[in-house]
Amino acid sequence: MSLLDLSDLAIQAGELSLVDGVTLDVHPGEIVALVGESGSGKSLTALSIVDLLGEGLRVTRGSRRFDGADLTPKRLRKLRGQDIAMIFQEPVSSLNPLMPVGAQVAESLIVHGTASESEAQSAAIDMLRRVGIPDPDRRATQLPAELSGGMCQRVMIAAALISRPRLLIADEPTTALDVTIQAQILSLIRDLTREQGTAVLLITHDMGVVAEMADRVCVMYGGRVVEQGAVHDLFAAPRHPYTDMLLRTMPRPDDPPKEPLFAIKGSVPGPRDWPSGCRFRSRCPRADAACTERPPLQGDGHRAACFHPMRPT
Amino acid sequence: MTLLQIEDLKVHFPVRTGRFGGGKGTVRAVDGVSLSIDARETLALVGESGCGKSTLGNAVLGLAPVTAGTIQFDGQDLGTLSTAARKRLWRDMQVVFQDPVSALNPRRSIASSIAEPLIIHGWSGSIPDRVTELMELVGLNADQRTRRPQALSGGQRQRVVIARALALNPRLIICDEPVSALDVSIQSQILNLLMRLQAELDLSYLFISHDLSVVRHIADRVAVMYLGTVVEDGPASAVFSDPVHPYTQALMSAIPLPDPSRRDRGDRVLLQGDLPSPLDPPSGCPFRTRCPLAEPRCAETRPALTPQGPGHRAACLVQDRNPGGPPA
Repeated sequence: MSLLDLSDLAIQAGELSLVDGVTLDVHPGEIVALVGESGSGKSLTALSIVDLLGEGLRVTRGSRRFDGADLTPKRLRKLRGQDIAMIFQEPVSSLNPLMPVGAQVAESLIVHGTASESEAQSAAIDMLRRVGIPDPDRRATQLPAELSGGMCQRVMIAAALISRPRLLIADEPTTALDVTIQAQILSLIRDLTREQGTAVLLITHDMGVVAEMADRVCVMYGGRVVEQGAVHDLFAAPRHPYTDMLLRTMPRPDDPPKEPLFAIKGSVPGPRDWPSGCRFRSRCPRADAACTERPPLQGDGHRAACFHPMRPT
Repeated sequence: MTLLQIEDLKVHFPVRTGRFGGGKGTVRAVDGVSLSIDARETLALVGESGCGKSTLGNAVLGLAPVTAGTIQFDGQDLGTLSTAARKRLWRDMQVVFQDPVSALNPRRSIASSIAEPLIIHGWSGSIPDRVTELMELVGLNADQRTRRPQALSGGQRQRVVIARALALNPRLIICDEPVSALDVSIQSQILNLLMRLQAELDLSYLFISHDLSVVRHIADRVAVMYLGTVVEDGPASAVFSDPVHPYTQALMSAIPLPDPSRRDRGDRVLLQGDLPSPLDPPSGCPFRTRCPLAEPRCAETRPALTPQGPGHRAACLVQDRNPGGPPA
């Protein structure tokens, strides 16, 4: 049974549609990547799960279920920080600048009443050690400003995982970090979640990160899911032209250097400029009259929303 | 022909340290770098944040103070030129920054932004004609000339920034993370544009980037920086396929490959720890605190760049393929 279940989720800002019918599930212990470019709706989809949509944004349709029951605001208050944890892109701005990092890691245990203050503090130091912070006793007393960006991201991971959540939502967790630190943080997320059996919803724009981490992938474009499937199937044989072209635009080690790269024409349209029907059709070489209708997500396991897929579904 | 020649460049910044700013220290942002760029060549400068790569680019542009060393452009030492001569030289050297939103004045039309360097440097021909020509050169529609930057997409804005950089027919463009702020599906358009312009206009690029997949594709030569120094440089093909320095090896193996079947490859070098503070760099080799191969002698002497192959140099005592040979 799936742990997280989103069905036909829609999010609007006033009358403007930003996410339009996202269906997605995450099973226990699984890493699912939600991938897309700016404005694809991937972060809004993730934020809506924990009810952190900003002012003026609301869920207008669909259901969000966790462990078989609807995510009501009351239920979320209990789950958030305990069964569902979140880490964000900017570690420095996500931490409280005036609170020692040890106390921030310990906070969720104290708030949810699962440990006394002193138990929580020693659990926090232990967790800081497990995320690879050297000298955790001393570091726990320091403020975020005294730590590097990579260390702040470890602190956030420690704070998210200390309550052994069942679902971790990681929104671009390594985008602000350098590649050698990114490699450390990704392997840390993978090892710790595997060890604790935590499911991960990983939001990213980077297909390289997806290929490194995910079991399954969900590709979004223009507020909709255009393709989903197991990571090996999707990379080996993408079905939606957008996924196919996105993978082809990435420079690869065996490409002849200095030759023109494959490019997708046009630019990513904003939500006010989404075409009717298939939202990729204004940039798609395979588009024809049929694409003015909305394509349904079709297929078994590996699914794509396209009338002219790269391979038959 | 060498267009830009940098010799033993140092850029140090005095800073106050300690919680209350009572101490004094020096950030050695660039600490003895020698590099050269030939005409029509792309030299990529790679490394992680804080390694000094952007400061180096800024020093070439006159935007960061040179503490020691020389920068020669086309045989002229920038440090000894008069202000008027430097101003003339700046026509030959332009810059494209990472974020096209903050690089463009939101209240000006894009034609007016592109025309600005033409006005400042007294363009002799028709400025509107030149703006049209530039817009077409970078793939913008000349009908868009009266639009403001916010009416354009990120990729189009970066095209405006590139058109402005090209206005005075420069010979060198410093590209500081030119595609990092763009959507993935747009990056290859801009990279293709940069490669086409280089071929058409005989441009040289100093291409500053942390994205090694991009660098591998676009660069002729690569210089890898760590904590203000170059630890390895050479032809892109040699540095990527046969890296000598342990830091370069770690950097290469940390690139996430878009191929899930290779995720568990065993050759990955995971580095421990963080970049040391440039206020207080380690003695000897700057990389030794994170290096999996470090030996006691690495703390004693700072390794010099030594030849490892044709045009290929690295600064490592342990991995040196030509120990005892002459310094490069």
